[in-house]
Amino acid sequence: MQQPSLFPSKPQGMTLSEFNARIEDHLNGVASLHNQWVIAETSDLRLNRSGHCYTELIEKDAKGETVAKIGAVMWAGTYRQLYHIFLQSTGQVLSTGMKVLVNVTVSFHRLYGMKVVINDIDPSYTLGDMERQRQEILDRLKAEGIIDLNKQQPWPNMPPQRIAIVSAPGAAGYGDFMNQLQGNSYGLQFYTCLFSAVMQGAQTVPTVKAALDRINSNIDKFDCVVIIRGGGATSELNSFDNYDLASYVANFPLPVIVGIGHERDVTVLDYVAAIRVKTPTAAAEWLIKCGTNALARLDELQETVASAVRDTVAAAREHLAYYTSLIPAVARGIIDTNRIRLDNHARNIPFAANNLLANQRTHLQRMVERMGDSVARAMQREQQRLQALDDKAVLLSPQNTLRRGYSLVRVGDKCVTAASQLQPGDNITVQFAEGSADATVH
Amino acid sequence: MESNNEMTYTQAVTELEQLVQKMQDPQCSIDNLTAYTKRSKELLDICRKKLTAADEQLKQILADIQQQG
Repeated sequence: MQQPSLFPSKPQGMTLSEFNARIEDHLNGVASLHNQWVIAETSDLRLNRSGHCYTELIEKDAKGETVAKIGAVMWAGTYRQLYHIFLQSTGQVLSTGMKVLVNVTVSFHRLYGMKVVINDIDPSYTLGDMERQRQEILDRLKAEGIIDLNKQQPWPNMPPQRIAIVSAPGAAGYGDFMNQLQGNSYGLQFYTCLFSAVMQGAQTVPTVKAALDRINSNIDKFDCVVIIRGGGATSELNSFDNYDLASYVANFPLPVIVGIGHERDVTVLDYVAAIRVKTPTAAAEWLIKCGTNALARLDELQETVASAVRDTVAAAREHLAYYTSLIPAVARGIIDTNRIRLDNHARNIPFAANNLLANQRTHLQRMVERMGDSVARAMQREQQRLQALDDKAVLLSPQNTLRRGYSLVRVGDKCVTAASQLQPGDNITVQFAEGSADATVH
Repeated sequence: MESNNEMTYTQAVTELEQLVQKMQDPQCSIDNLTAYTKRSKELLDICRKKLTAADEQLKQILADIQQQG
């Protein structure tokens, strides 16, 4: 069965170019599609050989789904102008993934179809949007309490000498950093290890994170991490305004030095890193400065040691000098004291002697007195005794005895006291109290 | 006190700072001075060497890591 035709009468066709010309006529003359300011996001932005810049302008909904899309072009002349204006205002190269406010005019070409021609761009909108995004990330990092985490990370060694570098191997920035570091004129040694990563575009976040992971598995070999990029005029920093990367760096267990920045621009990564410098060269200078500070501190300590030795010896010498100076005075003092004591003693001698003499004299006096008394008493006693003896002698005298009637017989001069002393014929004398008589023994 | 060979820069400089503090103390005995001075000279040498003399072993270790990375 034959399919019923859509058009019952055989249609009279026109050429496509005729048709497209109609669209051209309709669209290209409509004022409301001319020089209109449109908010969109750039996508798949690219330059062709002629210097024309092509991009897709898209709009996404809250879920991130693309809800509108149109091809756009900046003709080479416009692009050259807008490139510089945009770079100057935002510090960024116009690139994919940017929110833009562009002035566009619809353009329909019978061969190339419909697109919009970008006439102008308002960089302040992009700047505001980037700033808003950055602020959102910063607010989130703050709310999570991790924004200052890496700044609080202790330095395993100060000055840091073992440096893990995250950079693109061939990049001018890496070369600048290495030259600066290894060519330092202080003889400072640095030990570097490159962990390569892509430092611009969509690959930035995953490759930098992967590099950090590799460093983390050798964590005890390093004192810090340096993330550097740069060299040349290009400065596409969008990738570094990324929550995932910022959070990764904030939580990294070594201090991170970031030298990716633009003179005027600060990325989220700059906020979370322990140290933020503008360029790779500045990162190297910072590290060298740490080293020279340490060398200066060593010089200072050496000088302090020397002066401590000088001071201690000087203090000891001073101490000694003080005591040395003290000796004569002390000696003089001792001599003086003793002299005074001696003088006192000398002065006291006569008094003491007099006292002593007086005491002795009194004592003697008393003795003499006592002797006199006792002599007198003894004399008296003797006298009495003599008297008694005398009395007794008188009483017992031969005369008194003879008077009482006793006689004394003598032979010659000898007294006879026993009859046995006499022999018959002895001539004896008998003595009486009054006179004597001679007799012969029979 | 760590053996000199195993000391890190941080350990050496910390000991040095403490030693200097002792030496600056007015109570520091002149009898200790010689020992303190000798030790501080040793520590200064260790520190300077750590900062300026190349550690070839460490260089090699890092070169190996870079190779693997």
